[in-house]
Amino acid sequence: MTGLKRLLADRAAAIGAGLIAALVLVAILAPVLAPFPGDVSEFHLTERLLPPDATHLFGTDRMGSDLFSRILFGARITIAIAVIAVGVSVAIGVPIGLVAGYYGGWSGGLLMRASDIFLAVPQIVLAIAIAQTLGPSVENVILALSATYWPFWARLVYAETRAMKGQVFIEAAQALGASDFRVMVLHILPNIASAIIVRTSIGMGATILTAAALGFLGLGAPPPTPEWGRTISEAREFLPEAWWYAAAPGFAIFLVVMGFNLLGDGLRDILDPKIRRGAK
Amino acid sequence: MRGLPLALVAAALAFTGAAGPAAADRYVHANNSAYDTLDPHVVGDVARVATRLNFYDGLYRWVDNPPQLIPWLATSHTVSDDGLVWTFSLRDDVPFHDGSLMTAEDVVWSVERMLALKRGASTLFLPVLDPGATKALDDTTVEFTLKTPSAIFGSIVSDIYVMNSDLVKENEVDGDWGQAWLTDHVAGSGSYMLDRYDPAVGFIGERFEDHFAGWGESYYDEIEFRTVLETNTRVQGLMRGDYQGLDGYLAPDQIARLRDSDNVQIIEQESMRVFHFAMNNRRPPFDDVNFRKAMAHAFDYEGFIGSILQDSVVRNPTIIPNNMWGAPKDVEGYTFDLEKAKEYLDKVEGPIRTIHIGTLAGFSETEQAASLLQNALAKIGVTAEIESAPWPVVNSRMQDPEQMYDMVPYWKSTYYADPNNWIGELYGARYIPTRNVSGYDNPEVNARLEKALVSTDQAERQTLYEEAARIVYDDAAGIWIYNTKWYGPYSTEAAGIRFSPVGNAQDMRWAHPAD
Repeated sequence: MTGLKRLLADRAAAIGAGLIAALVLVAILAPVLAPFPGDVSEFHLTERLLPPDATHLFGTDRMGSDLFSRILFGARITIAIAVIAVGVSVAIGVPIGLVAGYYGGWSGGLLMRASDIFLAVPQIVLAIAIAQTLGPSVENVILALSATYWPFWARLVYAETRAMKGQVFIEAAQALGASDFRVMVLHILPNIASAIIVRTSIGMGATILTAAALGFLGLGAPPPTPEWGRTISEAREFLPEAWWYAAAPGFAIFLVVMGFNLLGDGLRDILDPKIRRGAK
Repeated sequence: MRGLPLALVAAALAFTGAAGPAAADRYVHANNSAYDTLDPHVVGDVARVATRLNFYDGLYRWVDNPPQLIPWLATSHTVSDDGLVWTFSLRDDVPFHDGSLMTAEDVVWSVERMLALKRGASTLFLPVLDPGATKALDDTTVEFTLKTPSAIFGSIVSDIYVMNSDLVKENEVDGDWGQAWLTDHVAGSGSYMLDRYDPAVGFIGERFEDHFAGWGESYYDEIEFRTVLETNTRVQGLMRGDYQGLDGYLAPDQIARLRDSDNVQIIEQESMRVFHFAMNNRRPPFDDVNFRKAMAHAFDYEGFIGSILQDSVVRNPTIIPNNMWGAPKDVEGYTFDLEKAKEYLDKVEGPIRTIHIGTLAGFSETEQAASLLQNALAKIGVTAEIESAPWPVVNSRMQDPEQMYDMVPYWKSTYYADPNNWIGELYGARYIPTRNVSGYDNPEVNARLEKALVSTDQAERQTLYEEAARIVYDDAAGIWIYNTKWYGPYSTEAAGIRFSPVGNAQDMRWAHPAD
């Protein structure tokens, strides 16, 4: 509980946590909160491009659908993409980094060179290439993001594991006859968990941004999916007159990415006091 | 001599980047599609028509609205009594850009090249003209011997773009008819000479002072056609004065915005461009007429035309534009009626699967039409998925029966003013799969279309096209939505824009800076 208390005591981190909690709630309660839940797929052609008012908080889009409702439902897609893509990246990257860092040698070098190949190409470019090859869909966006994201975790865990490997308590565990697997999972992993958690939180924000970019480029969810990046892409044509059309999803992306970044910073302060922000 | 110093200034500006507002004698057009090649024999669409019309000349040329054919490289022609031998008299004063004079041999070589490549306009010629059937009788006479009489041959010779054959032969590699070289070089006699070309950016043409047709008092010394995929950038650029003209495919929302700008004029013309959904009639369940009728009843025509397009276009119930002869006047068009759609759907025998609609990136109207259909289909239990891709990609997929989408919403523009341009090419079996992308093949329709192609009796041709259009309509071979009006967005600094439904006003030799 002290961890949570410390998190909430840090104002920036608390705001971040609040934003993420709000995002999750909105995603779960979208059908209840949305004033026009049907507008995810329903059109009202006579109500196209209406500016925000009491009925349509964020205005309406090019097909006359309520933007506020669509953005709420869009939160579900955003969370799904971010959680699955980052989850898969962690699941691939962490074991690779752990094994490579623990054993070192040529096999470790080989694993790290493989991750270097992925890191050598800008992530967004690689993701565009993969998503374009596989065809536009949410599943392929997740695949593209996962395939390009795992090296970040592999690198991080590799470096942390190498540093941890020389520690006395590890040598003690090994001397007591603990298996390599036991040492890696029960002794090293818990000690580097904080770095992974911080990276994951910040990685969520970056993933959401990349997913939105892919959606914007038409590589994400096909219409009428209310994906945020895609909505901004549709709205381009109507700028600057229908400013709300692009502003609403843009603001949603901004809030969520900021939320994950603030949370990540706060978690780092709590979990890793050595590199705490500023002087306190 | 007025042109020369101005040309130098324009050229200097071009080489220094010319980022700011264009010089008064320079015309910049922002196009919504890329110019991936300059070869006039391998493409035949409106999106890339500017290269053909400005760098090359055809035997005749379409101008004005309603479209008229005027003599161009050819001065006149005669047709034999059996309708098979067409003899064209050519001008003897046509210089190519390198100064050499055009002869009948160049025409023959260009025709053979076009037929050999089997792309672009050749699909119109191949059914009636074999390779080797074109002869130069002397320097200024060329003779075509057709396989069968053709009522439209005279209308499509505008698409025979003549090349400087000596120049191309010098650049041939392994008998490729100069294809590699002509992708980024020009060997024509057209009103403009190639100055610069980059497939990612567009092209710049410099006025060809010695063009055989001469020049009026005012003209543009330099034209630039730039690829600008982003609609908003095109619109804002025109309002700011960066561009002098845009493509005629803007949605009414954009046209309304442009009307409010003092720098912009919108030129309105009746046109002949039918917006429709091509349906892949070969692939189940689209091979079942009941399924196609269900599709035709599932499109919200009124909502699309009235709300999204704000009544800027008129409903067109068949594939032939209402203002074209041969369009049956008694057909009312399918209505948006989901009850009926459901009834037809229930009659479909095989299984109903998820259908795939291909839309054109950068043409948001196609996506909105697809979304509207997708939405209605969901209500009757049919799932549709929308895939967006750039026009050159969609276009090449459409021509491959294996890769053709289930449905594609797009426009059928005018390439020559004859009903065959629409119903013949889109639903006649002879044009499968290049133009008849839906693979529709009905012997009753084919018989009428074929007869209309060889008949010289106008009244008979009209009846044949009307009958064919009614059968295609009853078969619901496609979803026909509207015939467009052309809204040409131009800078108020541009004048002399000469619109024809063939070419959409992109023949720039007539245009000039406003006084």
